[in-house]
Amino acid sequence: MSLAQMPSTTAEAMSDTPTTAIAQSLPSARAVMRRLIDAVRTEVMGRDEVIELCVIALVADGHVLLEDFPGSGKTTLAKTLGEAIVDTQTPEPEAGVTSMPEISAFRRIQFTPDLLPSDVTGVPIFDPNDNSFHFRRGPLFAHVVLADEINRTSPKVQSAMLEAMGEKQITVDDTTYPLGELFFVIATQNPLDLAGTYPLPIPQLDRFLFKLKMDPIERDAELQVLNAHSPSSAKTRKAVPRISRTELLEARSTLAEMVEISPAIKTALVDISRALRSDPRVLQGNSTRSMVLLLPALQAAAALDDRDYVSAADIERLLPRVLGHRLVLAPAAGDCHTIICEVMAQPMEQLARSTLR
Amino acid sequence: MNTNTPQNWTEPSSRGQQGARLMVIAFAAWLMSLPLTIASGSVGVIVGTVAALFLIDSPRLRRRLQELRVAATVLAALLCALLLTLAGQLLARALRGGFGFELVGQQLINAGFDPLTPYALGEFIAYATLAAATLGLLRLTAQRSSAGQIGESLFVACAVVLTFAAHRNGMIDRPFLLGDFALIRGYDPAYLLMALGVAGLLVIAAVNLREASLVRRLYHLGMLSAACLLLVVFVQRVGLPLPELTNDLGLTAARGSEAPPDNPFQDSSNDPKDKAAPVAVVVFHDDYTPPDGSYYFRESAYSQFNGTRIDYATRADMDTDLLTGFDAQARAELGHATNPIAGAPRQSVRTTIGTLVPHRSLFGLDTPTAYRPIANPNATRFRTTYEASSAVPLFELEALLGREAGSANWSAEVREEYLKLPNDPRYHTLADSLTGQLNPAFSDDPFARAWVIKQYLDENGIYSLKNAHAAELDPAASFLFGDLTGYCVHFAFSAVYLYRSIGIPARVGVGYSVPASNRAGGSSLLIQAIHGHAWPEVYFEGLGWVIIDPAPQQTLVDMSTDPQDNLQQLLGDMLRDDASLDEFLAARAESEFDLMRLTRQALNLLLLAFAAAPMSGYAIKLQRRLAPRLGSSHARYRSGFRATLDRLADSGLSREFGESREAFAQRCGNCAPTMMTLTRAHLGAALSRKDNAAAAARADVLAPDWRSLENAVNDELRKAVPLWRRLLGALNPFSWLAAR
Repeated sequence: MSLAQMPSTTAEAMSDTPTTAIAQSLPSARAVMRRLIDAVRTEVMGRDEVIELCVIALVADGHVLLEDFPGSGKTTLAKTLGEAIVDTQTPEPEAGVTSMPEISAFRRIQFTPDLLPSDVTGVPIFDPNDNSFHFRRGPLFAHVVLADEINRTSPKVQSAMLEAMGEKQITVDDTTYPLGELFFVIATQNPLDLAGTYPLPIPQLDRFLFKLKMDPIERDAELQVLNAHSPSSAKTRKAVPRISRTELLEARSTLAEMVEISPAIKTALVDISRALRSDPRVLQGNSTRSMVLLLPALQAAAALDDRDYVSAADIERLLPRVLGHRLVLAPAAGDCHTIICEVMAQPMEQLARSTLR
Repeated sequence: MNTNTPQNWTEPSSRGQQGARLMVIAFAAWLMSLPLTIASGSVGVIVGTVAALFLIDSPRLRRRLQELRVAATVLAALLCALLLTLAGQLLARALRGGFGFELVGQQLINAGFDPLTPYALGEFIAYATLAAATLGLLRLTAQRSSAGQIGESLFVACAVVLTFAAHRNGMIDRPFLLGDFALIRGYDPAYLLMALGVAGLLVIAAVNLREASLVRRLYHLGMLSAACLLLVVFVQRVGLPLPELTNDLGLTAARGSEAPPDNPFQDSSNDPKDKAAPVAVVVFHDDYTPPDGSYYFRESAYSQFNGTRIDYATRADMDTDLLTGFDAQARAELGHATNPIAGAPRQSVRTTIGTLVPHRSLFGLDTPTAYRPIANPNATRFRTTYEASSAVPLFELEALLGREAGSANWSAEVREEYLKLPNDPRYHTLADSLTGQLNPAFSDDPFARAWVIKQYLDENGIYSLKNAHAAELDPAASFLFGDLTGYCVHFAFSAVYLYRSIGIPARVGVGYSVPASNRAGGSSLLIQAIHGHAWPEVYFEGLGWVIIDPAPQQTLVDMSTDPQDNLQQLLGDMLRDDASLDEFLAARAESEFDLMRLTRQALNLLLLAFAAAPMSGYAIKLQRRLAPRLGSSHARYRSGFRATLDRLADSGLSREFGESREAFAQRCGNCAPTMMTLTRAHLGAALSRKDNAAAAARADVLAPDWRSLENAVNDELRKAVPLWRRLLGALNPFSWLAAR
């Protein structure tokens, strides 16, 4: 049953039942996502699909790896996304979490080969005034982090990212510093300029929910970008709509609770994973974690599409982006996307048929 | 798939496919060659076919041929075919010494082989080259384009159909190897041929079918086999074709109708379409060889003058020897004839006769004395089967001298009837002048006078199937006093009129005349359409009616036919219906595992399934369509959606494998935009939570109006899809299979 079809009179009639609060919170969660997407769309043009997927990843508590060329708007995207999320509306500032105000909305790290882990995480600095060390937070302490050209840095730095991305905390000198609940990394890498790079190891790649390829934007959108970026219009930029972090976190929990993932969907996911692992063209299949990470993303995508259930369309939309960077293919096995589509066909057929049973 | 091959080229087949195709085509070529040549020629055809197909399918030559253009290839192949055939024929002729010189020394041939060997060798070479050239060309075109493969299928079909076509004219022995095999086991060779043809066609189609997916290939094969099965069913329902009616001399008649005989002088009535077509088979139970070299089978006679010509007798006391049916007993008049002791040199011969085409009436070996019906051993082949007892003449012609013409038992009126002729004095004048030349010693002898007239016709008559007399009032006079060109009816009538003009009672006998040599030493005799005959006969006291048949020395038509020894033997065996053979076969059938019977049973089951399938298809379709109205409400989201999917499938829209429901609904958007809404409603019901009671209650309350959604889709479909497409879908009993 779709939410769009819900007759308003019926919804009002049901308002005294306890389910109403949750039922109404799903549209509000969807509204939060919509607002966030609209906020980014005012700044980044012609990238609607990428924006939606980024927001889905953000809501689904995942990270995104963008594969693109310089100057394609990824910084703008990450920056706008970070700026759209504000904590001004945070109702109760928790005394215990002293680090909260010190986490900025958006940080950008340009990865270079000579970067050190401490440059990213932060470092304890000796304060001669009180003869003690104070931890100086690195750029990772932000809600949205743009990790530019992540494959240019050494594996040591890359692995420092691992803990942050996986567990939302940073440990320096036996002291663990928690990161924000909304810790979101947008990493980029250049698909062609491979000289002197350190390709991301598989476990690192597994931390990213999506790997997105950004195709060149359309002609009209590109024209729009040029028009919007004239120096005069830069001044008269209208304020982007803001979303509070609390709203976002509520939306996240609402989605997890309210959007139904039918057993048939889960069966299909497991079947696809198993089929991929047994396919001779695939040397290493996707991890179970990838499927676990995928579930909230599916829920977010379904909610974005006005549904309170996950359907095959969500799998079709998200699965290639989730699996693309996780599979290790045999030499000369062909195109990863083609293989995924072929392997998906059978479980998806089963899924489609299951609705008639 | 294969980048080296041009697009329109068919892909190379596997070894197994090549082998299967080779076998089927070689079989078809062999079948086709059988009526054309001797055994060595048939072997040559097989060898030539195998060689050509093997060469052209070999990878090396295939690559060479690829580089040529289509037109060039076909031209070259045609030229090759022509040259090869020509060379083969020339070599064969040279070997046979056809050019006045011998390729191989005559001495060597004489020393090494018997004279038949060069002939057999020549046939072998000629047919091997012919087959290699023709079938090589076919294979080449088939390789060139997928359309060319139709040629191969057509060839196989043609080979079987041509062989089959001979059966239509009663030549059920063709080819003898198959026909004999089938008939011995009690099966109709036509079905065997049909089965072989269908199987061959299916194999060729299976080999040549190059569909991307196995399912599509199976589908096409299934359709083809369904068509073949329909053909088999059709033949089983309608029956096999009968030999065409030959209707010469009014002997044969249309089935079930007693049509009056046509004017025997009409050309068309004496122009059988297939002169070799078998009309009846006779099995002799007693040994008998006619003294004059021909077996005469009398069916009736023209004896009574009707004003213009002599016709069938209407008086009961005329032609009392002619039997009209099974009820008629042997006539008293023939009492002495059937009894050899009475002085008449006649012998009693018992025969079994099976007619293959409907006849006007029964006939028997001259002179039939009794007919007795017997059980038809093969109802699909024989129209009527009966036993005929005959008193056959044994006397030499000299024995007829000095006998009185006419019977003492005849009344004066009957005798007068046998002497009536057209009022034309020329008959008497001619007969008188002919008999006047007789030796005075015999000038009064009836037989001698008759014989002179016969000899006159023998020497001056010209036998021809075409004549200019049919339209005359008295065709016999026109013939006799005109160009003397005509066929047996003209000769017979002329002779009878001449005899009657000089007081010899005579009539025209009608029936069949078969050369004794046709029996070829066996006990059965095949009567063919060409054997229909009419002849003059004269009654001699104490002997009965004696045939005095003019045999013109000049003839414009070839009345000879190829000996059909195999068919004659086959039909004879069928008619004889040997009880001991039956017992033998029955005993063997009991003891042996009867593959044919099992096959027939399996085929029947298959037929049943074939007929039941559409019925069950419609039943399932109806059930699925009605389910939303009849089914329970909690399954409403499923049944209604399924019914809608069925409707879409009827309109040619169905979900592809692996396609999600939303994607399908999107695809249907052009025809039925509401399908998206319906799909989402369905998915919502199917995929959202059902375990939670509160949620279920909510779902019930919020349930969309399924009926209106489905009706909306239906209306949209009705507007968007043409009527014929929907009708076609509605008629298809299996369209619901596509609705997934």
